[in-house]
Amino acid sequence: MKLKPAAFIPELLRHLFKRPATIEYPFEKLKVPDDFRGTPVLKSELCIVCRACVRDCPAFAIEIETLSEEEKKYKMTIHNDRCIHCAQCVESCPTKALFMNDEFEIATDSRLKLKAEYTYTRPKKSGQQSQTG
Amino acid sequence: MKKITIPIGPQHPALKEPISLRITIEGEVVKHADVRLGYNHRGIEKLAESRTYIQNIYLVERICGICSHSHTTCYVQGVEKLCGLEVPKRGLYIRMLVCELERIHSHLLWLGVAAHEAGFDSLFMYTWRDREVVMDLLEIISGNRVHYAINTIGGVRRNLNEIQKEKILEGIKFLKKRTEYYTNLGTTEPTFVARIAGVGILPKEKAIALCAVGPTLRASGVSSDIRKDDPYAAYDEIPFDLCTADTCDVLGRVVVRVKELIESYKIVEYIIKNLPQGEIKVKAPRKIQPAEVVSRYEAPRGENIHYIKSNGTDKPERLKVRAPTLANYPATIEMLKNCFVADIPLIFAAIDPCICCAERFVELIDAKKGNSTVLSMAEIRKKYYSTETKRNVVWPL
Amino acid sequence: MAVIKALIYLLVYPGILFLFVYSTFCEWFDRKLYARLQNRIGPAYTGRSGILQPVADFLKLMFKEDIVPENADRTIFSSLPVIGLAIVLTAGLYLPLWNINVSVPSFNSFQGDIIVVLYLLSLPTLVLFLAGWHSTNFFSTLGGVRVLTMLFGYEVPLFLAVLSPAIVADSWRLAEIADFYQKFPFLLLFQIIGFFVAVVALQAKLERTPFDIPHAETEIVGGTFTEYSGKKLAFFRLMTDVEMVVGSGLIATVFLAGFSGGVFLGLLKFILKTLFVIAILSLIKAACSRIRIDQMVIFSWKYLAPLAVLQLLISIIVKGVIQ
Ligand code: SF4
Ligand code: SF4
Repeated sequence: MKLKPAAFIPELLRHLFKRPATIEYPFEKLKVPDDFRGTPVLKSELCIVCRACVRDCPAFAIEIETLSEEEKKYKMTIHNDRCIHCAQCVESCPTKALFMNDEFEIATDSRLKLKAEYTYTRPKKSGQQSQTG
Repeated sequence: MKKITIPIGPQHPALKEPISLRITIEGEVVKHADVRLGYNHRGIEKLAESRTYIQNIYLVERICGICSHSHTTCYVQGVEKLCGLEVPKRGLYIRMLVCELERIHSHLLWLGVAAHEAGFDSLFMYTWRDREVVMDLLEIISGNRVHYAINTIGGVRRNLNEIQKEKILEGIKFLKKRTEYYTNLGTTEPTFVARIAGVGILPKEKAIALCAVGPTLRASGVSSDIRKDDPYAAYDEIPFDLCTADTCDVLGRVVVRVKELIESYKIVEYIIKNLPQGEIKVKAPRKIQPAEVVSRYEAPRGENIHYIKSNGTDKPERLKVRAPTLANYPATIEMLKNCFVADIPLIFAAIDPCICCAERFVELIDAKKGNSTVLSMAEIRKKYYSTETKRNVVWPL
Repeated sequence: MAVIKALIYLLVYPGILFLFVYSTFCEWFDRKLYARLQNRIGPAYTGRSGILQPVADFLKLMFKEDIVPENADRTIFSSLPVIGLAIVLTAGLYLPLWNINVSVPSFNSFQGDIIVVLYLLSLPTLVLFLAGWHSTNFFSTLGGVRVLTMLFGYEVPLFLAVLSPAIVADSWRLAEIADFYQKFPFLLLFQIIGFFVAVVALQAKLERTPFDIPHAETEIVGGTFTEYSGKKLAFFRLMTDVEMVVGSGLIATVFLAGFSGGVFLGLLKFILKTLFVIAILSLIKAACSRIRIDQMVIFSWKYLAPLAVLQLLISIIVKGVIQ
């Protein structure tokens, strides 16, 4: 192994005339890839309230409340502040009611603002079957 | 000359995570070193006992930010063994692909950190710039840069398409060229070589006796790699070489890691070219019959071990994690003896320490009497947090 | 009139104000160049292309909390940054910047001023040592000891290298040396080794990579500066910047034929030549990794000092030939 003094200098000088690799982030944004795991979102018309997502979420970030048993009204809260963006809920959902969007700049000054609430009525039995099948 | 004991850490610019090295020095020479752990205990093992097998994948992923895939793979392999699942070939190949990409990212990161500890900031900037390439590849494959979450019990969660394959090959080609340049530079730049050659000597016998693992062990001339010794996934089907060095110093550890980088590029290319068709996962049962298993995995830093015990429910009875860094601490103490103060950060960085991965256990020992005690959470609260538990907070579940 | 002139000289140009502005500019230049060599953008948002960033850093530090360690000697601890800054500012006054007519020496240009500048440039090292010693922190003490150890390494080669052009020019006055090489520029070709030695020694004096051993952050935290914060740290940083300007100015004077040609042309030459020296310093900083203190001392005595002596020999021979 031979030592070469100043071995790095040609590479350094070459970069002096190249564009810097830095991306000036808040002013200039990179595109995220297609199936990026951003924030979980519910398509409430598809949800059949099977609670698979609640059971599998590792961060206990999904809650489903029963508003009224007769009218089949439910409220789902996705606590985005607890969510670790693993997309396990998306995988567990039998009807593809959940999906991840590509939002990653979700920081706010209060965790309450990160709560997403959906109030919805469960679809009829028939609809449920066709969707799961 | 007078002997002085100085604390390196728990807060020190050379250490990115909290650990304490008590160093006794005479002038600029280290006479004695002692490692103290326990600054970053997170209770992950206990937490795992209260979660289902699926939830635990994401929990063990968070043991380490850099070898996140290592821990999940080690864990799911264990669980698969417990319930006797046969993972489809394509699933295994994608798993190995992420493994190798992770190794590339980890070794490039380490090269940068080592250069930074030696005060070679330009090399640090360049390696980290090039590391972005492999991070982007991982993001394309898995949807995230750090926690890939690609493993699931019984296979992997995402498939690979042609466009992704092409991008990976392209990225690997670029990285290959860069790595060859860094290999050349790292072993010929006089100031850098002066800092790493002959520093932190760990002779072969000592390395074996002190149970060093991973590149630290291989740099002492011992050929040991779980991928060869006890092949998991489908490593027995893949041709690759085991990289060793016999200089036993930090230079050797650099050489081993850059050689491994080159091997990893070859493995990635092989996997992409020989990716089998078929399913990527099989369905896993939720509940597992009582049994126990030990799973081994060659993480970028060395051998990673998970022990899992099931009890017939959908939650493990016990999960024990031995991260590679822990195995390397005794060897580090040996390496630190009789080195210069200036070499401490380099020697310590050369084992690629990931401190909070290794923190599994806290024992409360009375400093005066020497006996250990067990405290409940309520007692700890009462004893060490004087403030009342806050009311009206939304957070605790 | 003479009083006003002297005051302007001390406070505005080339005194405190000029040195402050110019040294912050030089820091920006150094940081920007260093960043571009590493394929980064460097300071970017304060002022145009971040040109005000060093000033902003200085102001920010001025308003930060200022802590004196409990066991430290308060007076010495607090006065050291000011003393250090004063010393390098004084050294800056002796650069032959405002020297229109060489044959009429102004009050700051006299036989032997080159020695005065060299010694004034040695004093900050002592200040740093004292600062490290009086911080009563182990890391600072170690840093202070390293400062002194390094001093023994680079000081002799620096002196030998800087004085050898003076031997050829047969004068101990900066303005005259510069004037001499202005007249016989080809003689500078014989000083190339000396130039190289002086630049490397200046790099060591400024404690920049590969010689940033006394404040190597990954080894001994902040070294000498560990306990310094707020205003005092701001002064220390300004001191290093001014030292860089004065040091490169000195090298530019003796090795690059000075800054003749009146106030404006002289200023232009001063800026160009010092920036050239600083660019070399930045390149060295980017191309090396930090070496150990023992390696540093070995390096200076094995390579730098013999080279400086060789330069001295060449100078003496050259002088004999031209006489
Ligand atoms: S992405 Fe993961 S953490 Fe977030 S809600 Fe879904 S399952 Fe829970
Ligand atoms: S898993 Fe899907 S269908 Fe079931 S409750 Fe969750 S969102 Fe609704």
